[in-house]
Amino acid sequence: MKKLKGFFRYDNAGLLFILPAFIYMMAFVGYPIISNIFLSFQDVSVKNLVKGEKHFIGLDNYITIFNDGVFTKALGNTLLFTVACLIFQFLIGFLLALLFCKKFSFAKPIRGLTMIPWMMPMTVTALMFKFMFSTDVGIINYILRTAGLIQQNIEWLTTPGTAMIAVIIANVWIGIPFNTILLSTGLSTIPQELYESASVDGANAFQRFAKITLPLLRPTIESVLVLGFIYTFKVYDIVYVMTEGGPVNSTHLLSTYSYKLSFDLFQYSKGSAVANILFLILFLVGILYLKITMEGEND
Amino acid sequence: MKKVLATLLAGALAATMLIGCGSSAATTKEEAPAPAAEETKTTEETSSTEATEPVAASDDASGDVTIWYYWETAGHQEALNHIIQEFNGQQDKITVQAKYVPFADFKKQLSVGASAGELPDIVILDNPDHASYAAMGIFADITDRFDVSTYYPGPVNSCTLDGRLYGVPFGSNDLVLFYNEDMLAEAGCEVPTTWDELLDVAKKTTKGNVYGFAHSALQNEEGTFNFLPWVWSAGQTSYEINSEGGIKAMNFMKDLVESGAFPKEAINWTQGDTMNQFISGNLAMMINGTWQIPTMRQEVPDLKWNVAMIPQDKQQASGLGGENYAVIAGGNEEAAIAFLQYATSKDTCLYMMNAMGYISSDSTIADGQFDGDPVYQVFVDEMKYANARGPLPEWPDISDAISLAFNKVITGDATPEDAAVEAQATIDGILGK
Repeated sequence: MKKLKGFFRYDNAGLLFILPAFIYMMAFVGYPIISNIFLSFQDVSVKNLVKGEKHFIGLDNYITIFNDGVFTKALGNTLLFTVACLIFQFLIGFLLALLFCKKFSFAKPIRGLTMIPWMMPMTVTALMFKFMFSTDVGIINYILRTAGLIQQNIEWLTTPGTAMIAVIIANVWIGIPFNTILLSTGLSTIPQELYESASVDGANAFQRFAKITLPLLRPTIESVLVLGFIYTFKVYDIVYVMTEGGPVNSTHLLSTYSYKLSFDLFQYSKGSAVANILFLILFLVGILYLKITMEGEND
Repeated sequence: MKKVLATLLAGALAATMLIGCGSSAATTKEEAPAPAAEETKTTEETSSTEATEPVAASDDASGDVTIWYYWETAGHQEALNHIIQEFNGQQDKITVQAKYVPFADFKKQLSVGASAGELPDIVILDNPDHASYAAMGIFADITDRFDVSTYYPGPVNSCTLDGRLYGVPFGSNDLVLFYNEDMLAEAGCEVPTTWDELLDVAKKTTKGNVYGFAHSALQNEEGTFNFLPWVWSAGQTSYEINSEGGIKAMNFMKDLVESGAFPKEAINWTQGDTMNQFISGNLAMMINGTWQIPTMRQEVPDLKWNVAMIPQDKQQASGLGGENYAVIAGGNEEAAIAFLQYATSKDTCLYMMNAMGYISSDSTIADGQFDGDPVYQVFVDEMKYANARGPLPEWPDISDAISLAFNKVITGDATPEDAAVEAQATIDGILGK
């Protein structure tokens, strides 16, 4: 009894407060992840999902998928997709954020409008881009042709290389507002006086940007990039709707390939192995993110 | 402590991010509730033995019956709901309800439901998938409980696994050649009957925005369904891709695409998209199925189109499509079978088939179903040459290998020979297991 009382001393009471959240996370997040890890070490397929024995087969699923050309392609695609999207989203988003922190008429309503891509349902966006990129009737080929940039229509979604470019463009369009809004919030926290006194001291626009804006914005930039990585790395809908991983598996990402293995081909254990690789990478990035934010708070 | 907390938080963070992507969240469910499923099964079993002995099913069956289906066409949904209401009105023991599950989610829902023990009592599913789910053990064995002796062998075959009957054919459809009469006349062409003629007519009718010929060539089951008739027509089976006929079929695809008459974009077209291109006047000829006819007649009554047998190489061939009813094992089996008896009775079946543009799988009903309708008659004639896909529990993997092969050929990613070798390796690997 005394022990129990001792446990509820002031210091430990905090643990009780996080208990509900902890139980929730364990039940709805922890359990599925652990059971998915188990699944990936078994041989569950169409034959033994419901009936029949499930055997533990160690790392066989992982060995098989790493020898599977489509998986390695999907892994490479996911990295390429993420990095390309991050670079363009960030650069364009940053430029827009810098633009909108200038005070000009209609700055606010226009900034509001740029949020539209972020608010649109992914599927709608994906369908829209699918139409825009279609070979014969797509507006993108029409514009390029009218401007005299191309002679022949580009077969965007039916050629492996260009299909990847098309889905990246679509996803960049969606991701720009996220970068813009976070970066402009960051920009608005930089005191205006710093710029004024720097100008008085004779700093030019570039120097002010490099010596004031960038260093003060560093924590925001780090967060934007890491969160952007996580959001982009697990993209599923846009690729599924635009190309379904095709043509000839050239646009499969880890997410779409995992789905295909599990629910089109009924190879549940292999599908979960792919999902676990996806999880592992995001897990490491998540740790990095927390490290960055905690360092920031300790400063 | 802080480090541990940080790691935990990181895990939680990554996890919440991942949940959003759906695929992994759903896969995780697979393994877990096996015991729960067992449990429900045993309780259900006792209740069903209480209910009745199997023979006098329809008299004693009672309770609720839920149906899952994936038809997105409004007319199809209304027809199904119509017969359900009629059934519910006629008796007061069984209440049937239908739930629409989108096609894209259908397989996922079934897989997840199977492992969680949360399935409806009847599903209406695409026939090539039937064997997979039967092998999974979620369908009831209805071998002596439902009479399919008057049904066509192809559709019945698709519901059968290891000699046992795991479902009832709902209705069948097949593929034929649709052509735009005006466009063919303008180009001075006869309706093609062989591959060479088809290629020739396709080239001649291609001009401006109009492509001569197309069919859905998606890299999935839908594409495989439309492509396989070429392989069969060249005298090969679905499992013999790296063969004279298989390579010939792929070379034919290659010639069509290279001639410019067959749009590469067909690799992103569903059969519905293909039909839309045809009725918008962007296509002179297409391969498509029975079920498009009601829509086409309604949408473009003025368009002059007709149908013909699919042009052949060595022999006539078409794809057999359609849905099957399956009764879920451990569900309300008796009541489900009672509903199926009703739904497959002559008048109800005819009503459904005509509303949906399907051919009845019951030969006694199909005879005379389309008297005086020359368009449907072509489909009925083609039915004799319609081949089923599978049935094989691993059919989805075979289908995936085939669709990858012809997609490689269409996009120019591989030569027909190389694509065939690769597909054959996958197929042999699956069959050799």
